[in-house]
Amino acid sequence: MKTSHLFGALLGSVLALGSGVAPAYAASSDIKIVLPEEADLLEPCMATRSNIGRVIMENVSETLTELDVRTKKGVMPRLAEKWEQNADGSWRFHLRQGVKFSDGKTFGAKDVKYSFDRIFSDKNICESRRYFGGMKFDVNVVDENTIDFKVDPVQPILPLLLSLVTIVPEGTPLEFVREPIGTGPYKLTNWTPGQQIVLDARDDYWGTKPAVTKATYLFRSDPAVRAAMVQAGEADLAPSISQVEATNDKTDFSYLDSETVYLRIDGNIAPLNDVRVRKALNLAIDRQAFIGTLVPQDAVLATALVPPTTLGWNPDVKVPAFDPDQAKKLLEEAKAAGVPVDTPITVVARTANFPNVTEIMEAIQAQLQDVGFKIDLKFVEVAEHEVYYSKPFKEGRGPTIVAAMHDNSKGDPSFTMFFKYHTNGTQSGYSDPKVDDLIARASAATGDERAKLWSELIAYVHDDLVADVALFHMVGYSRVSERLDFKPSIATNSMLQLSEIGIKN
Amino acid sequence: MLSFIRKRAFASLISLIGLLVMVFFLSRLTGDPASLFLPVEASAEMKAEFRALHGLDQPLLVQFGQYVGNVLTGDLGESLRKARPALDVVLEAFVWTLWLAVITMTLVTVCAIVVGSLAAFRTGGFFDRFSSMVSLIGASVPDFWLAIVAIVVFAIQLSWLPTSGTGSLAHWILPICVLFVRPFGIIVQVVRGSMISALSSAYVKTARAKGVKSGPIIFVHALRNAMLPVITVIGDQAASLLNGAVVIETIFGFPGVGKLMIDSILQRDFNVVLAAILVTAFAIFLMNLVIDLAYALLDPRIRY
Amino acid sequence: MTMAIQSTHTPKEKVAEEPSAIVRMARMLWADKFALCAAIFLIFVIVMAIVGPAWLNELATKQNLRGRNLAPFDFSREWFMWLGADALGRPLWPRIIVATQNTMMVAAGAVVISAIVGTLLGLIAGFASERTSQVIMRLADVIMSFPSLLVAVIVLYILGSSILNLMLVLSITRIPVYLRTTRAEVMEIKSRMFVQAARVMGASSKRILFRHILPVVLPTLTTLMTLDFAYVMLAESALSFLGIGIQPPEITWGLMISQGRQYLTNAWWLSFWPGLAIILTTLSLNLLSNWLRIALDPVQRWRLEMKGPKHG
Repeated sequence: MKTSHLFGALLGSVLALGSGVAPAYAASSDIKIVLPEEADLLEPCMATRSNIGRVIMENVSETLTELDVRTKKGVMPRLAEKWEQNADGSWRFHLRQGVKFSDGKTFGAKDVKYSFDRIFSDKNICESRRYFGGMKFDVNVVDENTIDFKVDPVQPILPLLLSLVTIVPEGTPLEFVREPIGTGPYKLTNWTPGQQIVLDARDDYWGTKPAVTKATYLFRSDPAVRAAMVQAGEADLAPSISQVEATNDKTDFSYLDSETVYLRIDGNIAPLNDVRVRKALNLAIDRQAFIGTLVPQDAVLATALVPPTTLGWNPDVKVPAFDPDQAKKLLEEAKAAGVPVDTPITVVARTANFPNVTEIMEAIQAQLQDVGFKIDLKFVEVAEHEVYYSKPFKEGRGPTIVAAMHDNSKGDPSFTMFFKYHTNGTQSGYSDPKVDDLIARASAATGDERAKLWSELIAYVHDDLVADVALFHMVGYSRVSERLDFKPSIATNSMLQLSEIGIKN
Repeated sequence: MLSFIRKRAFASLISLIGLLVMVFFLSRLTGDPASLFLPVEASAEMKAEFRALHGLDQPLLVQFGQYVGNVLTGDLGESLRKARPALDVVLEAFVWTLWLAVITMTLVTVCAIVVGSLAAFRTGGFFDRFSSMVSLIGASVPDFWLAIVAIVVFAIQLSWLPTSGTGSLAHWILPICVLFVRPFGIIVQVVRGSMISALSSAYVKTARAKGVKSGPIIFVHALRNAMLPVITVIGDQAASLLNGAVVIETIFGFPGVGKLMIDSILQRDFNVVLAAILVTAFAIFLMNLVIDLAYALLDPRIRY
Repeated sequence: MTMAIQSTHTPKEKVAEEPSAIVRMARMLWADKFALCAAIFLIFVIVMAIVGPAWLNELATKQNLRGRNLAPFDFSREWFMWLGADALGRPLWPRIIVATQNTMMVAAGAVVISAIVGTLLGLIAGFASERTSQVIMRLADVIMSFPSLLVAVIVLYILGSSILNLMLVLSITRIPVYLRTTRAEVMEIKSRMFVQAARVMGASSKRILFRHILPVVLPTLTTLMTLDFAYVMLAESALSFLGIGIQPPEITWGLMISQGRQYLTNAWWLSFWPGLAIILTTLSLNLLSNWLRIALDPVQRWRLEMKGPKHG
């Protein structure tokens, strides 16, 4: 079997060699999209990972709800038509009727239950499970089109959480699948690993027919090549190209991409356990000087790890001024108080983590050294970065700062705050009772109360605890062929809904 | 000859086993695939489950025992990330790399031998200087630089060729041309160097003294003797191509084994790394066997 | 020694006829203008490698975000800005000079280590018993099929990224080519007349090895080494391109090229100058090694001596 496989591939390449130049232009509602990283799996329950989500999320596999980021209407219906919270805190979802999976089966409550059971199965390791850490789910099928979610503890943002769970038909293998079956407007018709993925529009889709009838995904890791492909007409859409390439204002658009760059401080180790030292770090960096130089012009200075579109984002928290003299003074004060400020601090960054990472980190190193810090800059690859970034932290480590990028496009800080600041958070360098308490209360609250508590937490973390050095909300650049009508959004990083793409004539 | 091949096959098997053992243990020292597969926010329990699911929680020796057992039944395991057999993934990619390597090396060998020996024939002459200069510059230009410049010029400015990817004959031209440059530069120099030695060696002089006037005969004689180091270097260059032209494959989006290997190494997809090494090593062993046979063929005094 | 004694005791015209070795080499170098330029350039590179970092480090690391990607050839600026500035506004000219040390250390270190280890193993493999030879050759097979990228990731992950470790990585991967080349040549030479004659006359293996075989193998090895020099510098650059090589704030030419890559289309000078440095160094090394090969070969030396100055 293995040999026949090899033979087939050999034959295939011979044919490819002989076939000559393929026709460059296809029908106009066919589009080609070039992405930086190939999807290694097309598993629906892994769709929250961007390289997979950009292809299948809401295109092939749909969710019960979806977060509207374009018109900011909040959580909108998708496979669920409406929902309400019962008196006991559980949620009831009324499902859309007349929806069919691409294999012809009818969608119903049993599929929703099955999708949940599958996520928690021990036969796989679904990424979406991470959003439900510490929750106990009791999913009850009420009737064919109604389903109840009883979650302990009560989840006020359950409808939002459900925008992250893709629905698969009952009977899908528990192990990872490579050919996703979903209810979405497209179905997978061809996947040649390493080369392309093709999605075709379905005739029996329940919703409005999208303008794009066929999408071919190509993968190139070099941003210059991706930009070149759109320019040369070999692709119609490159959702991420580099800032340097984005020179044509007819085709190149910037968009706030929900990624926030920050310096994570491990506040357990001297001298970083001293708040004056942390304040000095914040004052020493000339954030504004980066904008329009190493960081794109449209990037926004960050005061929190969540972008301004997030619930509870606090407009009263101000970006620390660039004040090297004050930083020096704080360092001297700390030194006088016996804080070992001369200890070299290791700053760990990841190669190719975000555009210009080496230059940005070298500039930050220089700025920190200017006020008197001793900084060892260390670039590591992704596996090693993980070791520094996430717990368990190494025993006997020196003072360490990790440059990292955090993505929260989901509109609620709960996807950020616990992990980054709670005593038990995997990337948290602190153990602060007030932070823990605020996170617990905010997570359980709803409406304005929730927003208020998150605001309070953001202010406390930034101004009082001075937990980290928030730097930039980054922007991405995309190149869109002039024949397409498409504007990227804050969600473009994690999903790319083909139905949002129009074809100009 | 047959007994030589049998002996070599056995010896190669031993090196292959040595290679696998080394890669197996060394690669597992380089970090945890669980934290790379799962997002940073994943809990410790999820990571532990991932390890359990893939047997990575077992002691290393147990894992190794299982792996060897599986390999003996022809099962090289599943890719940690792709949920499909590692060997399938690798073979698919290897075919592309094999074609790329074979075409490139054939072109390189032919061109380099012609240019190198012509240069050696008139040492210090114009052609010698010129070809040395060109080939040396070729050998010292970074390939990613060349690749991007080639794309900008031939795909964008002139629109003669597609930028990247696969699908037609035209897609092969740029990668092969860019890949051609460095081994060509190196091999031209080696051919030239060893041809100069061969042409000045005693027997060519003797032949000349004996009155063999005809250029081609001397040329062929010298070339035959000059080929030994040349073949070694060709083998070395071909081996590095078989291991995958990572940079070229990355830029041109060519689905070869080099890109697969670097991705799998960075993601710690151990089974794919092992399978890729097994396949490429097998190809390289085969090639080395051919090289040793070529030595014997070119020089009757070498016997095995 | 003998030369010195001779010169004190012989009449003057005799001295003119047989000048000291150094003078003779210098004359032969003068005769080949290309080689002369190459030698001068290489001396410059070596001097810069030694004094560069101490001399220019401050200038090379001084950032200026307002002078990013400054174009070259603006001669109204200070001399160190003449080649332009990089993405952090650091002047390229001093950076290239400062990077010379690391680059040379990595390249020379890797080439010398791999050449010595590879040649020795190759000589042994060619000379020793069948069994030893087999063991060494299989070892070479293992190294040859061990992907260099994996070696790099393993070494750099376990030992950390440093100039020394990088040297180690690159030299390990280059050993097989020297080993195989040497062995192949030894096998060939061993069967030649003069070696067999020496052996019949009772010369020891060691003597045959160093007196008869090494001199014949050396020219090919020199060619290989000069070429490997470029190869190693570029391999180091490719590792940086893939994110597993030398990491800033250390600098090498290879790293500079890979950092300038993203600006290829709008600030070509970022990767062009370090690339040019690599090309010039390789070219010089090669020209010099070609010259050396002729100068050291008694049969061909006349080519250079004929062209030399008539008398001085």
